[in-house]
Amino acid sequence: MSSASPVADVATAPTEGRRSLWSKALYKFTRDRLGMGALAVVLLYGVIAAGAAAGLWGQDWAALSDATWAAASADHWFGTNRIGQDIFARALYSTRTAFEVGFVVAIASTIVGALLGAAAGFFSGSWIDEIVLWLMGVLDSIPFYLFVAAIAYAMKGSPFGMHVAMVATFWTITGRLVRGEVIKLKGQEFVEAARAIGVPRLVIIGRHILPNTFHILLVQATIVFVAAIKSEVILSFLGLGVKDSVSWGLMIAEAANEVQNGHFNNFIWASVFLFGLVMAFNLFSDALQDALDPRQVA
Amino acid sequence: MELLQYALRKLLAGIPLVLGVTFISFLLMVYFGPDQTYELLGKNPTPEQIEQVRKELGYDKPFAARYGDYLREIVTLDFGYSNKTGQRVSDVLARTVPISLALVAPGFVLGNMLGIALALLAAYHRGGWVDKLIMGGAVFGMSISFLIVVIACQIIFCSSYGLDLFPVRGWRMDTLGDYARYVTVPTIATVFVALGYNTRFYRAVIVEEMTRDHVRTAMAYGTPPARLLYRNILKNSLIPIITRIMFSIPLVVISGSLIIESYFGIPGVGKVTFDAITSGDQPVLKAVVGLTAVLFVLTLLVTDILYRAVDPRVTLK
Repeated sequence: MSSASPVADVATAPTEGRRSLWSKALYKFTRDRLGMGALAVVLLYGVIAAGAAAGLWGQDWAALSDATWAAASADHWFGTNRIGQDIFARALYSTRTAFEVGFVVAIASTIVGALLGAAAGFFSGSWIDEIVLWLMGVLDSIPFYLFVAAIAYAMKGSPFGMHVAMVATFWTITGRLVRGEVIKLKGQEFVEAARAIGVPRLVIIGRHILPNTFHILLVQATIVFVAAIKSEVILSFLGLGVKDSVSWGLMIAEAANEVQNGHFNNFIWASVFLFGLVMAFNLFSDALQDALDPRQVA
Repeated sequence: MELLQYALRKLLAGIPLVLGVTFISFLLMVYFGPDQTYELLGKNPTPEQIEQVRKELGYDKPFAARYGDYLREIVTLDFGYSNKTGQRVSDVLARTVPISLALVAPGFVLGNMLGIALALLAAYHRGGWVDKLIMGGAVFGMSISFLIVVIACQIIFCSSYGLDLFPVRGWRMDTLGDYARYVTVPTIATVFVALGYNTRFYRAVIVEEMTRDHVRTAMAYGTPPARLLYRNILKNSLIPIITRIMFSIPLVVISGSLIIESYFGIPGVGKVTFDAITSGDQPVLKAVVGLTAVLFVLTLLVTDILYRAVDPRVTLK
C-alpha cells in the first residue's frame, strides 16, 4: 500500500505497528473467501468496463438494426430493444458508465470529505469546525433527490451535473467520520510530539493525521461507489442522469414503459448486470471493513 | 420550565440551519432553475409584456429582497400562489402531503418494525445460520436498486404477466378498501428496500449492546430470552434506534417517495415538488424546502426530548 509510506519517516510514530495494520488487513482479507470472491467479480466488471472504454467491445451499443424486439440469438445474445439496438452491447458499455460515475463520485467525495472533515476535527471547537458542521447539517437537511435534481437541472448542459450533485451530498458522511477520528487522533502522543518539535500544523494534518484515517477513507470510498451507481439509476430514470451515452439506469428507464407490454429483455439484463456489480461491491466493502477495522464487532 | 427554556434555546440554535438550507436552495432556484417568463407568455410577446410577467413573478427584484420575502413567507407560513397552476401553495400542500403520508407510512412503520425484529433475531443467534441467513438476505436486499424492485413488484402484482391482483397506477383513498388496494404494492416495494439497510443498522446496534457486561450478568441469572431481548437489550439500544427513525421523518413527510409517486402516478408531494423543480415553480419549491428545514429543527428538538424520556441519565443542556 503506497499510501502508508508518507508516515514511514515520522520520528515518533510507531512505524512497525503502522505497517502491520495494513499487512494484517491484507492477510485477513486474503483469507476471507467471500470477500476475495466478491473482489474477483468486481475486477471482472472492471475488465469489462476497461475493455469498453478502450474500444474492445460494446462499441456498437448505439447501432440501429431492422430487427426490433428480437429474441436472444447468436447475433444478439440478449436480444434487441425497441429500435433494434443490441442489448448485450448496451449492457457491456453501461458497465463503463457505471465505473466512470462510481470512480469520479467516490474519489471526489472522499477527497472533499477527508479535507473538510480533517480541518473540522483538527480545529474542533473553532469557527472552522462550526462552519463545516453547519454546512454538513444544511446539506443533510435538503431532501436528497430534490437537491440532486436541482443541481442536475442547474448544470443541464454539462454531462457532470449528476456527479457534482452526488459529490455535494455524499461527502458529508465521510466528513463526519473523518472529523470524529481526527479529534481522537489529535490528542495522541505522536501528534503532541510532532507539535512539540515544531512541525507546522498543515504538515501535521497532512502527514501525521490524515494517513491514519486512510482505512476509514478506503471503506467509505467503496460505500460511496455503490451509492453513486445506485443513484445514477434513479437519476437516469428521472431524466436527470446520463446523457448521450447508455447506462443501466437508462435501460431500466426504457424498460419501465416496455414491461407492461411483455418486453422483458432490457429490464432483466440491465437489472442482472447492475445487481451483480452492486452485490459484489457490497460484499467486497464488508470484507474490507472487517479486515481494516479490528474494533468493529461482527 | 426547564424543558421550555431548553426548547427555546434549541429552536434558536436551529435558525442557522434553516437559513443555510433556504439560502442554498433559493440560490439554486433563482440563478440555475428554469425561467418561467416565456412559459407564461404567448407567442411574440412585446417587451412590455415580458416586463409585466417578470414583475408578476418577482424576477425584477434584487436577490436580497427576494430572499427577504422568502424568509418572511416562512415566518408567516404564507407562500402565496403557484406560478404554474395558480393554486394557493398551502392548498397544494394540504392536498398532497396527506396522500404522501398515507402512501409511505405503512411501509415506513413495517420496514422499521420488521427490521428491528429481524435484527434481534440475528443478533441473538449471532454467528449461527439464522444470523448468516438474515444478514445475507440484508446484503441481497441492499444490492437491488429501488427502481428494479418497484418495476418487479408491478410486474408480479399488477400485470397480466404476474398475479394481476392490484391496480397498475393511480391512487384513491376514499374507502379503506380502495386505500388497501392502492397502497399494498408500494408498501411491499418500500419494505423490501428499507429492510436490508434497517436490519443491518439495527443488528449492529443490538450486537454492541449484547456484548456489555450487564447483559452477560442477566444471562448468567437465567433471564428468559424474550425478557432479555426486550428489557435488557432493546430498551438500552433505543437511543440510536430513535435517532435513525426520527431523522428519516422530515424527509419522508415532505419529499414523500418521489420514485414510487412518479412510477405509480400518485399525486403526492414528492411528485409535485419534482415537477416544481423542472418547471421552475418557485413558490411551491420555496414552501417545500422551507418546511423541510423547519421540520428538521423541530425533529432535532423532539429527538432530544425523546432521549430524555427513554434514558433518565440524559440531561437536557
